[in-house]
This record gives sequence, structure tokens and C-alpha cells, in this order.
Amino acid sequence: MKSQHFLNILLGVYIFIFFTYLFGPLIIMSITSFNSLEFPSITPWECFSWRWFNEGKIAYDGQHLAGLASDWRLRDGLIKSLIIGLGVVLLSVPIGMAAAIVLTQVHSRLRTIFYSVSIMPVLFPGVIIGISTVVLWDRIATIGGEGFIADLGRNGIFLTILGQTCFISTYCFLIFVARLQRFDQTQEEAALDLGASQTQVFFKILIPYLMPAIASSAVIAFLASFENYNTTVFSILSEQTLTTVIASKVRLGISPAISALALVIIAITLIAAIIYEVLRRREDKKKKEKQNLLLYEETKDSRLKKEEKRSFRIPKSIYLILFLLIVGIFGFNQIVKNGLYGSECVAAAESEKKSKFSDQLKLLQKNAEAVDEKSLEGGELGGNKDYGDIFGDTNLFKDFGGFDTKED
Amino acid sequence: MNYFFNKNGPLISTYFLIAIVFWLIFLIIIPQLYMLDLSFRPNLPPLLRGGPDDVHTLEHYKYFIFGSATSEDPYNYVDLGVFFNTFLTAIFVTILNLCFCYPIAFFMAKVATPKTSRLLIVSLIIPFWINELLRSFALRIIFAGEGVINNILLGTGLIDTGINFIAADIALYTGLTYAYILLMIFPLYNAIESLDTNQLEAAKDLGSSTFRTHWRIVIPHAKAGIASGCTMVFMLTAGALATPVVLSSPNTYWFTQLIYQWFNMNDNWSRGSAYSILLLTISVIFVLLMMRIFKVKIGEIIR
Repeated sequence: MKSQHFLNILLGVYIFIFFTYLFGPLIIMSITSFNSLEFPSITPWECFSWRWFNEGKIAYDGQHLAGLASDWRLRDGLIKSLIIGLGVVLLSVPIGMAAAIVLTQVHSRLRTIFYSVSIMPVLFPGVIIGISTVVLWDRIATIGGEGFIADLGRNGIFLTILGQTCFISTYCFLIFVARLQRFDQTQEEAALDLGASQTQVFFKILIPYLMPAIASSAVIAFLASFENYNTTVFSILSEQTLTTVIASKVRLGISPAISALALVIIAITLIAAIIYEVLRRREDKKKKEKQNLLLYEETKDSRLKKEEKRSFRIPKSIYLILFLLIVGIFGFNQIVKNGLYGSECVAAAESEKKSKFSDQLKLLQKNAEAVDEKSLEGGELGGNKDYGDIFGDTNLFKDFGGFDTKED
Repeated sequence: MNYFFNKNGPLISTYFLIAIVFWLIFLIIIPQLYMLDLSFRPNLPPLLRGGPDDVHTLEHYKYFIFGSATSEDPYNYVDLGVFFNTFLTAIFVTILNLCFCYPIAFFMAKVATPKTSRLLIVSLIIPFWINELLRSFALRIIFAGEGVINNILLGTGLIDTGINFIAADIALYTGLTYAYILLMIFPLYNAIESLDTNQLEAAKDLGSSTFRTHWRIVIPHAKAGIASGCTMVFMLTAGALATPVVLSSPNTYWFTQLIYQWFNMNDNWSRGSAYSILLLTISVIFVLLMMRIFKVKIGEIIR
């Protein structure tokens, strides 16, 4: 018995570690978005600021690191992601529904083949779906000549919708299959016997029954489309969606604006999850009350009559929220006390860095003069060796949205 | 066919037929077949396509094994290395994931109260609604040269110089393990949950040790879930692109990155297709292998 107890403790510790592993990185990333430093980090902590959510900053050496609100690339990408997501939902939900309904109507061998082909796209790596869509449509566009088809075949948004629909339809298909397994086919037969046409049966019986599946598959399809990268990166061609913009930024990995973006997404997710959970619980409760009432009315057994408790019960989660609030206020108070918040702190840090930078610049100029003499003697040409010459290559930051290089 | 039309009525039948043909033929089968065909063709400029030079060839597959004709090595060590490295790492990550997730899945299915396990499920799902790229970015902040772990280790004096986690590929492996944990937990959880708790109690009453109970009862019962989880994780890991882009070191390539390079940087679409076919082949072989080992049908793997 004792060993069992010990095992349970071990399991508890393990679960704690597991969830730390799951959430730790996200929490740390969220915190870094409030650090005014231009590199996403916790230590060294410069100032607490909202700058990465707003306008970003103009660095001491003149670079403009865009914040969330001022980044036009992210905004354009977001709009395209929304368009693609909508297109995918409009295509994949009807496709998944049709395939799932037909699956209930075919039998034996054909059913197995049909099912296997339908779920294949989930097993394909995303990159392959993207590539195959692009190569096929490029060929179609070439054959189609100069007209509408050529434009369509080389339109990144159109190709992305097709590529994503290929495998997202399978997700929808599986949701519909699960729902249809519990469908009572006698309903259909009854309607037909009572003189309904097949079309009426479809719209009056099947569709209402499938409504929850339609809703959940639409949500899943949209989310899957919205966060897809592997397929999109190939099929989007010259356009940019939110994920490809994020990818090109993350590859350089130097802007806390990405942390800010992640925090916004995390917040939206959390709120959505909480709303969903609350709604689900309310529904469960309603169902239970209804059941109790029904039971009581049938049996008239007074023991079954539950006194409806209308007293307001404080949910346990309120303690957690209160705790977080207190810790937050206390921490924030500390930050303000130590002068780590507000524009003064940022300004102080900036001026300090500026003076450092100008010192360095002077040093570099001195070095450069020395190098110039050397290069006259045929030695190697000097660059800013202190910076590893990273500013020398103008192409390096071409794809990086951080600097404001809006063309229009 | 007549039966089909009678059953659904003309309007709905037409909708069904169009939707299914469009999906299965135009979105799934034709693109894959065309890519397969393209992988056997030389890389030609658009004008020469369909001309006399556009013949079937094994050029790209030969290149994958033997390398370019001008190189000194007898085999294409770089690409082969990347290929096998990707394959082995994916297997390693899959096994790691299985070991990590099994206790959690068991806890949620059998030990915890329904309310607790409900809470755990919700908190498991939340991180996976966040983009894979951003999750990898979070790990990058932690593993970076001046990242959190290095600062902690340096600050406590455990090490003197910072460890380069990204160059050592530790960041990459962690990221890949992190990325698809959910897809391992859910099949396992579903499989274990369907096990009758009485069986566990009976085993305990008969004096079986915890380990033996798991080995003889829980794992055999959950084998469909294990096969399903392993397949999904392997497929996604082997085909991952987002995580390697963010976390791999400059001198380690993931096979998908190689494909990306041939495709987008070198504009050699047919070689990119050939490499994609290789990736697809290894994936299919893995699925068949899992179906064979665990004796499950393909329908049981994906649910």
C-alpha cells in the first residue's frame, strides 16, 4: 500500500513537470513582450513597456523595429489568412459532409477503398500536398495559355485554398462520420413514407441533425487553415499569409513584437476556451435539472424532488484569479517603485545606449582610419568587425519586416 | 448508380457527386500522380517542356544516391545523411513522446476524477491552438545563446561559458517533441479510457505488480491508440517544416528543408518532387509497418 502511495506522489510530480514544460515556454515568451529591450529576453530586464504592442521603437542606430500595431506586413498577412480561412471553410465543410453521407450509402469493398482514399491526405506530409498542388496548377496554367486559367493557376491565395482544402476536408469528413454513426435512419424512412421528397428529407431532417457537426467542423477547418504553415509556404507563391510573415520574422528571431503577437493569440485562445467551458457547464447543468424534473414528474416521488438552490456559489477558480491579481498588482507596484516603468525609464536607457553607441562609433572611426592606411598598403579592407559585418549585407534584412520599408 | 440517384433525389445527388469527384480526383489523386510523373522528368525551362527532351529519367533519384556527376564522393553523403538523420530523429522523437505521454494519458483516463481530467484536457488543448511557429519561437527564447536557461546556469555558476543549445540540436529535438505531444496523448487517452477499470482492480487483487499490470493489461488493450499516436507523431515530425526552420542549427538540415531548397531557392521543381516522393515513401512504409506490428487497420489509426 505504501508503495502505491509513493507512486501516486511520483505521478503527481511528473504531471506538474509535464505541465511546466508545456506552459513554461509560453509564459516566458509572454513576459518578454513587455521588456523594452530590442531582443526578446527576461534577463537583462530593461523597462516594463507596451511599446511592442504599439509602435515599436526606433533604435539608437536608426533602425526602425516595428511594433505590433504599426506592422503593415502582419496586417496584410492577417487579412489574407482570413480570406483563405473563409474559402477553406466554404469548400471543405460541404465536401466533408457529402463524403461522409455517401460513405453511409456504399457498401463492402467500395466502402473500404473510399474510406482509405478519403483519409489519405491526413497521412501525407503537408509539404507534399503544397508541392503537388503547385506543380499541377503550374502545368494547367501553362497549357491554359494567357487567359483566366493562367491567372488562376498562379494565384497564391487560390492555390492555398485548394491545397488546404485537400486535407482539411478529411478533418471535416471524420467529424461528420462520427456524428452520422449515431443517426437513426428510420427518421428518413418515416419522412419518405409520409410523402416528403428526398430533397426535403435532406434539408428538413439530415441538415438539422448534422448542424452541430457543421458548426464544429467549420471552426476546426478555420483554425487548421489559419495556423497552417507547411502547405501554405509552398502554395502561397509570392503572397504572404500571417504564418509566412511570422516565419520570416521568427527565422531572424530578434523582435519582441513576435512575443507580443503570441501573447495576443494566447489571450484570445484563453478567453475562447473559458467561454466554451462556461457554456458547456451551463448546458450540462440545464440538462441535469431538466432530467431531475422529468424524473420527478413521472414518479411523483418526493424524495426525487431536488430543492433548487438559487444561492450564489463562489466558484473555486475565483481564488486563483484573486491570487494572480494580487501577485500582479504587487509585482507591478515593485516595478513602478524601482523606476522600471514609464517613458522616463525607457528614455534613460535609450540615452545611455546612445552614448555608448557614439563612443563605439568614435572608436570605429578611429579604427577605420587605421584600416584605411592599411588598405592603401594592400591589406584587407576593413569593415565593422565588431558587428561581424552583419550590416554590410543589404540583402540580409530584405525579408525582415522589422524595418519599415513600406514601398507605397 | 440509379439506386444512388433515387435515394438522394437529383439535386442532392449532383451535389454529392460534384463534391466527391472534385475532392478525391482533383485534390487528392491527380496532384499526387502528376508530382510522381514530374519527379521522373528532367528539370527543363518552361519552353522546352513537352518537347523531345521531356523524357522519363531516373536522374533525380540517382542524384539523391550518388550525388552530382562532378563530385568526388561515390555517394551523395550530404543528402543521404539528412534523409537518414531525419528518419532516425523522427523515430527517436516518437518513442520519447510515447514515454512522456503514457503516464499522463493513464492518469487522465484512470486515476483522476472526471472533473480533473476534463480540466487537464482543456489545459492540454490550449497550447496547441497557438501556432507551431510561435511555440517554437518560445523555445528559441529559452534556448538562445543569451536565453533563459543559459542565463540561469551562468547566474548560478554551474557553467562558465554559455551552452549553444541550438548548434547541439537540443533545441530542435525539444521543439519537435513539444510540437506534437497532443497528438500522442489523445489516442492513448481514448484507448486507455475504454479499458474496464474492473480489470485493473482484478489484476491488483490477484497480486500483480504495477509494472506487470501495465505490461500485460493496459498496453495490450491500448495498442490501437499507441499505433495511432505513434503514426501521427512520426508523420508530422518527419514532415515538419516550421519547427526546424526556427530551431535547427545552421548546419543541420531537416529533409523538408532540403525539399524547400530545391523547390524555392534552386527552382528545380522536378528534383523537389523526387525528394517529396522519397519522403512520402518513407512515411507510407512507416504506416504499413505500424499496421503490421500492431495488427490494426488503417481506419483505426486515424479517428
